[in-house]
Amino acid sequence: MRKVFDLGFKWVTGLCALLACGVLALMVGAILFRGLPAVSWHFLTEQIRLVGADGGIFYNLVGTLILITTALIVSAPLAVGVALLQGIYLRSAAGRRRLLLLLYLLNGVPSLLFGLFGFIVFVKFLGWGKSWLTGGILLGLMILPTVTVALIERISSLPRRYLEAAAGLGLTTEQVIWSVILPQSVGGLITGALLGLARAAGETAPILFTATIFAGATVPAGIRESPVLSLPYHIFVLAQDSFDPAVGTKVWGTAVVLLGLVGGLSLIALPLRLRIHEEANHG
Amino acid sequence: MAESRSAPVLEVRDLSVLAATQPILRGINLTVPAGVILALLGPSGAGKSTLLRCLNRLIDLTPGLRVQGEVRFHGQSIFAAGADPDALRARIGILFQQPAVFPASIRQNVLFGVRHAGRVPRGDWPELIERALGEASLWEEVKDRLDAPALRLSVGQQQRLCLARTLAMNPEVLLLDEPTSALDPRSAEAVEHSLLRLKGRRTLVLVTHNLAQARRLADQTACLVVREGAGEIGLPDPDLDRPAPTVGEI
Amino acid sequence: MFFKPTSQPPDVRRRRLPRVPHTRVFSWLCTFLVGLFLLSLVALFGWQSLPVWRDVGPAYVTGTLWFYRQHTFGTLPMIYGSVVVSVVALVLAVPVGVGAAICTAEILPPRLRLAVKIAVELLAGIPSVVYGLLGILFLRDWVYRLLSPWDPLSGDTLLTAGILVGVMILPTVLTLTDDALRGVPALQRQAARGLGLTCSETVCSVVLPQAWPGIVAAVLLALGRSLGEMIAVFLVVGRQDNQWPAHLLSPQPLMQSGQTLASKLGGSETNIAYGDPLHWAAILGLGLLLLFLVGTITAMSFRFLRQDRHA
Repeated sequence: MRKVFDLGFKWVTGLCALLACGVLALMVGAILFRGLPAVSWHFLTEQIRLVGADGGIFYNLVGTLILITTALIVSAPLAVGVALLQGIYLRSAAGRRRLLLLLYLLNGVPSLLFGLFGFIVFVKFLGWGKSWLTGGILLGLMILPTVTVALIERISSLPRRYLEAAAGLGLTTEQVIWSVILPQSVGGLITGALLGLARAAGETAPILFTATIFAGATVPAGIRESPVLSLPYHIFVLAQDSFDPAVGTKVWGTAVVLLGLVGGLSLIALPLRLRIHEEANHG
Repeated sequence: MAESRSAPVLEVRDLSVLAATQPILRGINLTVPAGVILALLGPSGAGKSTLLRCLNRLIDLTPGLRVQGEVRFHGQSIFAAGADPDALRARIGILFQQPAVFPASIRQNVLFGVRHAGRVPRGDWPELIERALGEASLWEEVKDRLDAPALRLSVGQQQRLCLARTLAMNPEVLLLDEPTSALDPRSAEAVEHSLLRLKGRRTLVLVTHNLAQARRLADQTACLVVREGAGEIGLPDPDLDRPAPTVGEI
Repeated sequence: MFFKPTSQPPDVRRRRLPRVPHTRVFSWLCTFLVGLFLLSLVALFGWQSLPVWRDVGPAYVTGTLWFYRQHTFGTLPMIYGSVVVSVVALVLAVPVGVGAAICTAEILPPRLRLAVKIAVELLAGIPSVVYGLLGILFLRDWVYRLLSPWDPLSGDTLLTAGILVGVMILPTVLTLTDDALRGVPALQRQAARGLGLTCSETVCSVVLPQAWPGIVAAVLLALGRSLGEMIAVFLVVGRQDNQWPAHLLSPQPLMQSGQTLASKLGGSETNIAYGDPLHWAAILGLGLLLLFLVGTITAMSFRFLRQDRHA
């Protein structure tokens, strides 16, 4: 009886794990099957034509890259600052707890609300109109918790004795940070940033009202009224109108490219990220 | 050797444990006769705990280790294909260096294994609790607060609670992995006292690097030594092989 | 070596000169900015939605009708839609996620475990718009066929959105539950196994009771995610206003189109509303409601998570 239950238990949980992996395989398989035929060199290097039914997605790719690069430039310094406060400067457990709650809350804010915030503040109050910079700033703030927590976990897994050894040589906290802590934890920053960027690349909601349009933009020349095209918004628009077979192929092709970008960024980061995470949480 | 006393309870034959290709234990042979306390001595890192965990297959829970050779329990190979490690562990209990009490009451901790094994009828539980805690020299200290959280006990009391929990399963063999090294002297003495009272009725394998403790408790000793990076059975210290007088009296 | 010891003492002294601890100031400034952003987010939504609280009052959250041309703003059907979608998502994702996490944390050998975890993280990384696309082109039709005995109007239903969001939050449940299970000390498992308990008995009576707060935190966080999800829900929920069910607990609404707080906010009405102060306030009020709901749930989740760490 006990043996039977044990075996059944293992089977059921195993099936759950298999189901999770199966869903992934099914989804990726379906997208590749539908979309790969559409992906070609021309698809990547040409502009949109015929409202998405023909041509390629060159400027969508460029736009998404502009957005996530801006997000990286916004979030990386902030992440370093916040992580140092959490990992080094804050001495009290209560203070650290409060800062962590702040990050946790920020991580919980629905991405759509970032978009509305940007719409009110940048698009309307500051009068920027739709601008790549707004999108980059919002995406940067949105991925900030991901990047910061990765960095914090890396910093907190550094052996205390490095810091003590450095301090023992008469270095100030400032010098220890720049000569020991940051060089040692750059791995955490990179993996966190890559995962954050993977998320940012696929987000539609924050840029919907603030930074992206469907057609007619190239490389932005300024800040005001300088929207970009983007991959996720392209899919979002075409998905609502995907009964035209020509459009259907293009939208799947775009999904393949977006998935490739996101998956590539994640795959570089994940093995290292998971290891740091395990070390930080389970000794 | 086996024929020198009664039939052996545990026999280890040419046992090796490898992590990837790196041996941790190499070619271990050991015979544990029934009813004795066998002390397993040796420097830290010689693989004493690993050997102990092989005896009830707790080693299975550590991923990445490969076990070669044989361990026989009453003549049956425990690593054989059809063997049931859970049933084996119910008969060969283990006590760790650090007490591992569950976050529940004292009573629930003692009954923990019994409840799942379902061998003792519910009506006999109060008696079982008293016997197990008594054997572990803890009954007098906790009899009035069996429903108090076990985590509120001192470390020494927790370790004796773990002993009681194992004894409640009525195991034939008890594996002890440095059971007193994390304890205060008074608790260590109480644990040793309990172990001595078990002698003859159960078979005990005690890992320790406290020579005095081995002398006080053990009928037999075996030594693990490190040779070329792996633990092997070495020559026991002749002084230790002689049972201490206190042991003879009991 | 991890750092070079400076060789000459004067060098050290020269480097020590700056009196202002730039890094410390920078660090505090960054954190201040992040905190300021979060505060101003709440403040902005509160301030901009003030007219609707003043003019419509409590009817804003109890009214079941939304006709913006008549300035009738009742959000209850959208709150209901959000709740239904989230409940369906949790009902699907929690059992599978917790089961799979038990498998990865307690049963699988390390290599396989890492493989599954990477697969799950990839699943988490798939953009929501791609989920939405798959929802539109596959799930919608499947649900339509599944519901055909009841003659649904379309495949765009609350059920469709719930299933889709369920798949989306599965990785959140799985990863955080796995973390919670792995947080239970290995010695506890060994002690239970040493008593002869089977793997499943150890999980049920030792590991799960101790990992409980962490699992609750995981579920709450997943709930927060599902309430806030816009893009994927937007594409498959039908976005039908004023769908207030006659019987609250009947399964009928599952088979009909509906609207959630988030899908309403993502619609074109947000662009139309900006010129009209009351309409705009009503739209941002939805944002405030969402922010309040998700914020409360996230904070609760945080409490459970921290409790888990300190136990």
